[in-house]
Amino acid sequence: MSEVTCNRCESPLEAGDLRCAVCGDVPEQLVPQVVGTGLEQTVLRCGQCGAATRYDARSESVRCSFCSGELKPEELTDPVEQTEAYLPFTVDRDGARSALRSWLGNLGFFRPSDLKSAARIEDLRPLWWAGWVFDAHARVSWTADSNAGAGSSDWAPHSGQTDMVFDDVLISASRGLSDEEAYALSASYSLGSALPELEAPPADATLEAFDVQRSQARERITHGIRRAAASRLQEGHIPGSRFRNIHVRALLTGLDTRRMSFPTWVMAYRYEHKLFRVVISGQDAQVLMGKAPISWAKILMIVAGVIITGLALGLLAVLFA
Amino acid sequence: MTAPAPHSPALEISCTTCGALVVVEEDLRTVECPYCASPHVVERPPQAGRPDPVFVLAFTLDREAATSIVNSWIKSRGPFVKSGLKEGVLERTRGVYLPSYLYGARAHANYTAKIGEDYTVTVTYTTTDSKGRTVTRTRTETRTEWRDLAGRYECYVTDTLVTASKGIGNAELESVEPFDLRALRRYSPDLLAGWIAEEPSLAADECRRTAQSEMRESIGQDLAAFMPGDSSSNIRANVTFSEEVSHLVLLPVWVFALRYGEDEDPIRIVINGQNGQVGGRLPLSWAKIGGTVLFSLLALAAIFVIAGLLS
Repeated sequence: MSEVTCNRCESPLEAGDLRCAVCGDVPEQLVPQVVGTGLEQTVLRCGQCGAATRYDARSESVRCSFCSGELKPEELTDPVEQTEAYLPFTVDRDGARSALRSWLGNLGFFRPSDLKSAARIEDLRPLWWAGWVFDAHARVSWTADSNAGAGSSDWAPHSGQTDMVFDDVLISASRGLSDEEAYALSASYSLGSALPELEAPPADATLEAFDVQRSQARERITHGIRRAAASRLQEGHIPGSRFRNIHVRALLTGLDTRRMSFPTWVMAYRYEHKLFRVVISGQDAQVLMGKAPISWAKILMIVAGVIITGLALGLLAVLFA
Repeated sequence: MTAPAPHSPALEISCTTCGALVVVEEDLRTVECPYCASPHVVERPPQAGRPDPVFVLAFTLDREAATSIVNSWIKSRGPFVKSGLKEGVLERTRGVYLPSYLYGARAHANYTAKIGEDYTVTVTYTTTDSKGRTVTRTRTETRTEWRDLAGRYECYVTDTLVTASKGIGNAELESVEPFDLRALRRYSPDLLAGWIAEEPSLAADECRRTAQSEMRESIGQDLAAFMPGDSSSNIRANVTFSEEVSHLVLLPVWVFALRYGEDEDPIRIVINGQNGQVGGRLPLSWAKIGGTVLFSLLALAAIFVIAGLLS
């Protein structure tokens, strides 16, 4: 990694950056140094025929009107984000299958009794999903409403400022996984195991690409940092126990972003003609998120039971009154 | 103490293509040889208070595209613009690289505000029902409790652009913003070849004050969005800046003069040379507006009179 850092906020700059993405400062190397002290006079000439040429707005290039030679000025850099490292699978296919089975068996009373035995796994596929991992220091300014100090209304306003350190916080860039799924899986990965290349990924594996450009990526990362800060603020920073309207502004220093791909098993199982989706971390079979059917019969039974008991009690009360 | 505005006097160069003497006008960085049309980019000796450009935002709209945007913009104006404007002639169309400062700072604000927290109460009231009897009823009402909030707020402000040219004022620049700063390029004379490029002609302190007031305004808006509660009012903030940075950027603008009458001054129209946004508005004709109002009043009066006669 190139280690040019911003003078002002100490965030590493990336190749091609003209300004710091975090604070907008311009690295000193870029500010043109005064070379000559006299008058500099340039006529741009075509490299082929020597004729004077000018910048053409339509083609965004310098064009010679005589020999139609073209000279592209420095390219704009807003590349599509690329994965720098892959985390390997440590849970294999059978491990994923048995994790699903045991999950189906432990979902609780309100699920169909035959769920574990009747569910058929239809699809089981490895996926590397894309995400950003960042480290940063942040001075977080916040405001929020909470129940602490509330008067006539349920809510009272609070504000504060606190310094936070973020280490290895993961923000999803995935299209294949929902934000909730990615968030549920994110704690299960060991980032130290990352490899720069995949040796022979399975044939049915999906390698998700980042489908955003660097400039958009930065917006998503800023948004992710605000969300991470907001959730941390609810653990002891904001007084009270119920919160709403949490507003966060983060002044970042040393924001370092890495692009990584994370292994996950994406499974689909069928139960009575319906398909349900489950995702399992490729590095920890215990971390799993998915949907499962509810047994309406059992729920109805309970509701009916409650009503009948209530009626019976009422009847008894009337009889003894 | 304010630094004097930078001034780049006119100077003479000899054309490297045909050898003719060419005058570079004051406050310009480019010139076209009047004899052989060679476009020159002239970098003057360094001068205190006049920084060199760091970035260029290149033109992406050429003359034809810009002209057709302006023509359809003029046609689409409302019926009340002064007569002759829509038939006016576009003159002196120029693509100008406008010098401006790209400003950024770390902003600190100590704020106080009144925060409104809503709650509902049940109120009893008496009224008369359909049979004329007095009855007591209840309804729920939403009330607001106002609480004081004070706090501190810090953020980076980036991407504030202010003009450094006496020719095009900051309001005029704002009317064609935003520019897409992702397309910034390092300054290179190549991008200026064949275009008009101005040197900064406003003093850096003056630009800094303009930038600060623009940043204060944007922080004011952000603070309003930052407040909790169901509503907020009386937001007061003491904003200071530190770690300010500014860099000179050349911005692409097309400037048109619209001539529409013998003894009228032409109207200047500025458009964004990157995305075609047209700034400003055309002057309205008070005669036309007055005439229309008067006509509608007369028409109304006539209808009343006719209605009165018929009944």
